[in-house]
Amino acid sequence: MTAPAHGVIARFDEPEALERAVRAAKAAGYTQLDAYSPFPLRDVEQEFGVRPSALTWIAVTTGFIGAAVQYAAQYGLNVVDYPLNVGGRPLHSWPTFIPATLIVAILWTGTATLLGMLLLLRLPCLHHPVFAVPGFERASEDRFFLVILVEDPRFDRHAAIELLAAVGGQDAREVPACD
Amino acid sequence: MASEVSTFTTPIADAPLARRFSPAWRLALLAAGGLVGVLGLTLAVSWVMGVGSWGVNIPFVWGFDLTNYAWWIGIANGASLFAAILVLRRHSLRTAVNRFAEAVALSGAICAGLFPIIHLGRPWLFYWVFPYPATYEVWPQFRSTLTWDLWGILTHIIVLGLLWYVGLIPDFATMRDRARSSRRQRIYGILALGWRNSVRHWSYHQTAYRLVAVLVLPLLTMMQSIVALEFATTLVPDWHETRLPLHFVATGLAQGLAIVLLVAALLRWGLSLEQHIDDRDLDLLGKLVLASALVAGYLMLDEVAAAYLSEPSEWTATRNRITGEYAGYFLAALVFSVVVPQLLWFRAARVSVLAAAYVGVSVSLGVWFDRFSIVIGGAQRDYLPSMWRSYAPTLVETGLLVGTVGLFAALLLLFVRFVPAVSMFETRHDEHEDRA
Repeated sequence: MTAPAHGVIARFDEPEALERAVRAAKAAGYTQLDAYSPFPLRDVEQEFGVRPSALTWIAVTTGFIGAAVQYAAQYGLNVVDYPLNVGGRPLHSWPTFIPATLIVAILWTGTATLLGMLLLLRLPCLHHPVFAVPGFERASEDRFFLVILVEDPRFDRHAAIELLAAVGGQDAREVPACD
Repeated sequence: MASEVSTFTTPIADAPLARRFSPAWRLALLAAGGLVGVLGLTLAVSWVMGVGSWGVNIPFVWGFDLTNYAWWIGIANGASLFAAILVLRRHSLRTAVNRFAEAVALSGAICAGLFPIIHLGRPWLFYWVFPYPATYEVWPQFRSTLTWDLWGILTHIIVLGLLWYVGLIPDFATMRDRARSSRRQRIYGILALGWRNSVRHWSYHQTAYRLVAVLVLPLLTMMQSIVALEFATTLVPDWHETRLPLHFVATGLAQGLAIVLLVAALLRWGLSLEQHIDDRDLDLLGKLVLASALVAGYLMLDEVAAAYLSEPSEWTATRNRITGEYAGYFLAALVFSVVVPQLLWFRAARVSVLAAAYVGVSVSLGVWFDRFSIVIGGAQRDYLPSMWRSYAPTLVETGLLVGTVGLFAALLLLFVRFVPAVSMFETRHDEHEDRA
């Protein structure tokens, strides 16, 4: 009986070393990986097959909903609920409803971008198993980390540690899960 | 565990973490804080005594207040245009100045947002423009530009804040990891939202950053248009024109580009960023300012021609604006925002930091004079000759303008004190690409 684990982690000094390790881990059949880097790494993102376009869809769809809500609110309140005849002008004067509709669409899109990103990334998450790894704070400065997650069907603690050490990972070790 | 490692970006991260800042910074904050005090005092007078403490009266209902509002919006727009384009084009200059441009935009928008609220007369009731059933179940009039303005300013401040904050999340994580005291670790840790530098997260983060930057672009033209439509929908002869939104957008763009030129020149000179802001950048910016100044000049001519061909009341109003009591402001607008930038026809002037700074300040001043000329000069000849009066700002109004300059400076000083002034993750990325 071993304590529950989050995965196995190793440290790399260079982004190229991390990329090689990701390829090696994938070649060995691992699918549940996570990598940490102090700046965006396009090649590793492609290896992982990350598709952030979901965020664009969330943002744009929310923007359209915001536009519809704003237009409907203006129509409902100024045409149906509280019609105000100003000099015989048509009640449904749509051009005057457009500016606020566009502005509110931008407001909703922008807000949905931040909230959608947080939702997709499960943030804020102030407590995470990797934060307990000694030296992990350098992931925000100059070190790169690769994690083979325990969810991986081929996960085996010793084999994973051996693999990471073999591809040049330093301090390969198990990451205990949070309580 | 606080990181003690020393890397390329350490100086950027350590500046906000320093226990004390230089005496020059404290002196500057003291001066800016004094002006914020003036702002607080004049705000208090405006709130307690009411807008009767201002020089405004019919027909000058807006006076200094809207002049300064339109002007600050121009500054915010210019800086945010600059920041958004840098993010979208992945320009190398982005790394060095983007964070700063975003902070300038946000501070400008905050200063701008103060004015419409104060001029309401009873500012504590500003929420009446929100669509909620008020006392008599009267809904707001959504056909009014004033309700558009509420959404406009609100959106402007929120989206600029988002652009700034989204770019800052990873850098807050670095600050959290480097902070020594647990109080700072907690503050930066909460601001970083638990950012852990996962490669997957980076991918979404970059998409989010660019999405917000795209949103800024339509927002700019809409903000200026809404300000202009507030004038155009009134019956004041000089304002009641469909050309006004174009005038505000185009002169606002000239002002924005001039501010960008000024900031670029100052950064290059003050921070020795020659390799980031080279002669070609200044040359290009100079040409853009020149082109937009020519457009502004064309629009000022168009203003006169359009008024000449309109009804007599409109021609009377516009002619009075050009030749009457406030003619000096119209002339100043023309000279500062159209004539002075003609210097930029010469290449030597375009690549000179001094000339760039001079033209930048000049166009920005010129646009302030233009706004003053429209808001005050334009309202002097209304339909009723019994209303033909003069206007001069009182001390309280002047204090509000000076106070917002102080607020702007104070916000920027606090920004360099507590937040990394240069984007650290972009700097690391650039450094990595340079080595590769």
